[in-house]
Amino acid sequence: MAIMEGFNKALPLSNPYINDWKNEGKKVLGYFCSYIPEELMYAADILPIRVRARTCADTPMADAYMTPTTCSYTRCCLELANRKQYNFLDGIISCNCCDQVRRLYDNIRYKAPFPYHYIMGVPGYVSDTTIDWFKHELKKLKLNLENNFEAKISDEKLYDSIGVYNKSRTLLKELYLLRKHDNPPITGTETMNILSAGVSIPRQQFNKLLTQQLSEFKGKAGISDYKSRIMLVGSMLDEPEYIQVIEDLGGLVVTDSLCLGTRYFWDLVEVGKNPIDSLAERYLSKISCPRMTDGHPQRVQFLIDLIKEFRVDGVIFQRMKFCALWWAEIFMLRDNLKEEGVPFLDLEREYILSGAGAMKTRVQTFMEIMESR
Amino acid sequence: MEIDIYNKYKKLGRGNWGKDLIMWKAMYTGLLTRFKEEEFTPFVEFFLNLFLDLPKARREGKPIIMHPFNYGPELFHAMGIEPLMQEIFSVGLAPFHLNEPYIDYTNKIGYGDNPTLCNAQRPLIGTYLQGAAPIPDLLFFLSTPCNSLAMTYQVFHNLTDVPMFNMDVPYWLYDEQYETSEFYDEKTMDYMVKQVKDLKNWLEKMTNQNLDIEKFQETMKLVNEAREYVVEFNELLKTVPCPVESLVGFGNFLVMVTKGGTTDAVNATKYLRDLAAENVKEGIAGVPDEKLRIMWPYTHVFFDQDLFPFLQEEFQANVIMDILGYYQVLPHDVSTIEKCYESLAKGTLDFSMIGTCRGPIEYYIEYILNFVKEYKIDAVCMPMQFACKHAYTMARVASEAIREQLGIPVLIFGCDPYDSREVPLEAIRQRISDFITQVVL
Repeated sequence: MAIMEGFNKALPLSNPYINDWKNEGKKVLGYFCSYIPEELMYAADILPIRVRARTCADTPMADAYMTPTTCSYTRCCLELANRKQYNFLDGIISCNCCDQVRRLYDNIRYKAPFPYHYIMGVPGYVSDTTIDWFKHELKKLKLNLENNFEAKISDEKLYDSIGVYNKSRTLLKELYLLRKHDNPPITGTETMNILSAGVSIPRQQFNKLLTQQLSEFKGKAGISDYKSRIMLVGSMLDEPEYIQVIEDLGGLVVTDSLCLGTRYFWDLVEVGKNPIDSLAERYLSKISCPRMTDGHPQRVQFLIDLIKEFRVDGVIFQRMKFCALWWAEIFMLRDNLKEEGVPFLDLEREYILSGAGAMKTRVQTFMEIMESR
Repeated sequence: MEIDIYNKYKKLGRGNWGKDLIMWKAMYTGLLTRFKEEEFTPFVEFFLNLFLDLPKARREGKPIIMHPFNYGPELFHAMGIEPLMQEIFSVGLAPFHLNEPYIDYTNKIGYGDNPTLCNAQRPLIGTYLQGAAPIPDLLFFLSTPCNSLAMTYQVFHNLTDVPMFNMDVPYWLYDEQYETSEFYDEKTMDYMVKQVKDLKNWLEKMTNQNLDIEKFQETMKLVNEAREYVVEFNELLKTVPCPVESLVGFGNFLVMVTKGGTTDAVNATKYLRDLAAENVKEGIAGVPDEKLRIMWPYTHVFFDQDLFPFLQEEFQANVIMDILGYYQVLPHDVSTIEKCYESLAKGTLDFSMIGTCRGPIEYYIEYILNFVKEYKIDAVCMPMQFACKHAYTMARVASEAIREQLGIPVLIFGCDPYDSREVPLEAIRQRISDFITQVVL
């Protein structure tokens, strides 16, 4: 439990780990998408923090600028930036991962600026041509970081950084493998806390905590009082309370395809070759999100493999309201799951949990459907 | 239109066009009826031929490629592949509310809603599932301007198995460290040319034919010729009073996005250029007693075809240009095959709505500021589509820049240009009228 406390301390927007880092006179940058390589920032001795906005209760300013029909994650980020809630950040790095995130970048620059801003282009499909372009983008980002933060990102530093982040990926995969068991030692809610911590604290500290946590799990009695094994699928989710609602009703979340989940860490960066090349290949070719226009067949296969490996009873799509990418993707995935005979529930949600009562009713019904099978 | 020409086109439209072209044929019949009372101009000829080309291609066994509204079809024409701009359906059917049943059906099957996925493309899914959408042989789309478009094309591909090619339009980085932005740096051009060649290779493979180099160069020369007329036309619109009425500029876009690279396009764009030039020479205004010059840096409200005539009549307001009509692809050197590929690449980067929207907001703002200054604009109207995330999220910041830097009033309002039930025609007209009477005048 003590180790889990270490993760939980990282959950607020700013946290003691960030404070310690800044007290050493080092910089912190916020980033918005898992297509942005954290390794480059870390190699410049900059702490990369995934921008989260869990404390956002309302978005009046962001509604005016981003409009009320954009996803509430981006609106919450703009709102909190405008309220100076990210003052611990020395800047932000964004990308064109989706229309809303790329315009969030513009609105932040105009209405709630940071000392440093950068946006990088991420191609929309994978080919030799686009990987080559992405290498070019990563080189530009590297140069920009070096120029703006008086840092030298040598190949050696980049190798080290890749090693640290690959270690995280390996540890997280170990954690997920434990969740395959009949009686997994960890809930989905606790897993979400760990994942959120991972993108909010210095990575070496995270690796240390996670290593300790994994050894604590050895010999621990697992969870057996659940009714169904659930997989969560969708975009940005960093709210343990959301998963708690499902788990309170007897569903145990055992795996996922989420921005902060498997899609974030499943694939390693290849070592032993030019580090920029390795990063470009890994980030563009990793298990994709629907922004990648050629990736649907691979995403389906990945989903089905996970469903089998983790013996998933049912899939819950957590679909952020107004997200074009995921609505279309889920529309296609529904047919794939029907073909596989896997029950699913399509739950529209806001970034911050609202309407928990309605959600409970729908999840409860879904559980009953799965039980009756 | 002379009766023998009318009868000729009536005859050409006869026969069975196939079940999936029923709506296409209905649009053709409607247009012919409308044009019957008008002069038969090269623009009318272009429009009618556009609708006849598709069934003709079917009869002749020519492959048909479906593509979105932001790509010039010249390569397709050069390769004898019939282009079908998909949004002709959503735009063409909107004034008659004929796409609304398909929007409802698309809602019913669970493919998105109005504020999430754009109805320029979304109803394609419901239309297809009801057997009313043409099934092309090939599918092409770009990553820009929006996710909504790219996703609907993927869903369509997923449902139909029609082979698909996607082109990635690189994000155009605005860097304050540079005094001027490099729109076409060497790397960007190299990236785009490679993709154009990939597209050419894919088309060759799919159609089992090689690109005829001579025909390619001929096509590119025709594109250049039409581009010259469009650029001249756009220059003429700077004249006060504007020599043509509100919707005319959009005509050039329609021509270039459907028939760029054909003689029909050359004739139609020349006709529009000549019309504007003649009116400038004669001092004729497109809107008599022009009082207001409006910029419309977004799409039309397509379901209300009488909106601009209403503004002309009520306020002597001329909508000088919309975002699509502002086709600013310049003529390029096409003396070699390599230059032809480069021209296609540049044409893609500059195409209406791509050039202004493929990067950070500064480019959209610069486009509006420059246009307002050069075209002597009095007011700006932004009728933003609810689902258009990339544009709607720029509107407020852009409007502040316009007001602060030029003191020009701006109106922003949300609507669905393809579905009159979201914000009805009367509400839109009232909102614009209030803006003009209470803010502009």
